[in-house]
Amino acid sequence: MTSPRGHSQWEKPLHRGNLSGVNETTTQQIPPQEPRRLVRVKEGRVLGGVAAGLGRYFNLDPIIFRIGAIVLVLVGGAGLIAYLAAWLLIPDEDAPGEPAAGRNRWLVIAGVVLLLCVSWPFLLGGGLLVAGLVIPLAVLVVAGVLVWWFVSGEGPAGNAGEVARRAALGLLILFVCGLIAIGGAWAAAAGGETVVAIIVIVAGAAILAGAFIRPVRWLILPAVALALAAGTVSAAGLDLHGGVGDRDYRPATAAELDDEFQLGVGQLVVDLRQTDLPRGDVPLKVRLGIGETRVLVPRNVCVATDAQVGIGEVRTFDRHSGGLDVDVQDRPDAPPARTRLLLDANVGIGALRIGHSNADLDYAGANFDFGPHPPGLVEQNSGCVA
Amino acid sequence: MVAGAAVVALGVLLLLDAGGTLDLHFGVLGPVVCAALGAILLASGLSRPR
Repeated sequence: MTSPRGHSQWEKPLHRGNLSGVNETTTQQIPPQEPRRLVRVKEGRVLGGVAAGLGRYFNLDPIIFRIGAIVLVLVGGAGLIAYLAAWLLIPDEDAPGEPAAGRNRWLVIAGVVLLLCVSWPFLLGGGLLVAGLVIPLAVLVVAGVLVWWFVSGEGPAGNAGEVARRAALGLLILFVCGLIAIGGAWAAAAGGETVVAIIVIVAGAAILAGAFIRPVRWLILPAVALALAAGTVSAAGLDLHGGVGDRDYRPATAAELDDEFQLGVGQLVVDLRQTDLPRGDVPLKVRLGIGETRVLVPRNVCVATDAQVGIGEVRTFDRHSGGLDVDVQDRPDAPPARTRLLLDANVGIGALRIGHSNADLDYAGANFDFGPHPPGLVEQNSGCVA
Repeated sequence: MVAGAAVVALGVLLLLDAGGTLDLHFGVLGPVVCAALGAILLASGLSRPR
């Protein structure tokens, strides 16, 4: 006999009920429902019957619980612990319905506590690993649903399938907006800021006009993404002219410093340690889009700095400054008969470092180290000291 | 309508910076973007049917 819910627990009352004297062709008594009990079933069990019991209790395929347990076993071993605990806590199908009493109950509690004491490192590691996967996934789903809500007006209500569909559509929109932002940033950094600004204004005008004709809510996010990307590039002063790669300039004379040293993305090194520099003020102009600029000077050259960095840091000997909109103005006077280098530097995103040797600049080992100089390594703008 | 006005305002800001009339930096961009996004979200929330 097949029960209405397709499960064996609904069949038992029919077999047990006393149906004698009842004409089955006319009436059928509805048997009293037994309270559902979570037990380790014998039928279909693989090990202890835990997954099969959970499947019967929740009216789901036991394979779902088996896969979950195996995944948790592989992720830190929490599944094994959980399975053993469930084996201890969930009674066998043949056991009486009453909860375990007396010594047996205390034995079960002691067993579970012992299991937890032994296994907590595995549970913790697995939990952290699962959290590391689940939390970003949840954030993505929430972001997708919110974006779709904003664009379409469809809220997060509904079944799981609808929520998943909205999250996927929202994430797709976010992805497209990301591509638009990257394109806009590249265009603005390559000198097309005016064109990007006009596109943003046209998009805004279309949204504005749409309020009176036909709303175009879908256009708001791409337009804002484009404006944000171009605005960030402008605020950082990012300029990708000059190409990509590493450039190492070692001018022989001061005349070679007349030109501007420019690079789009990479490391730009201007090494003046072997340059024949005249007395008095010598201007030097460097421009970098993204990366690191290094200016190396002899110890007897005084350096006056006028530097702007959009996002990053400036290190001039023993001074450093980092963050957004970094602006360093340092114009010390040079002693007579010394060279004073007037450095005009602009870096979009990255670092400007000025020193006497690469070793002095390499101590941190990485860019964007906003900390102070390590003890014992204090460089000075020694050319400015008489 | 508010969203359109905010986007136009951002575009004009970019245009002024590109033309050299304005020197855009993060100290200006941050508050402007926050104000624009806030206005858009506020208007969107208020215009949503209950």
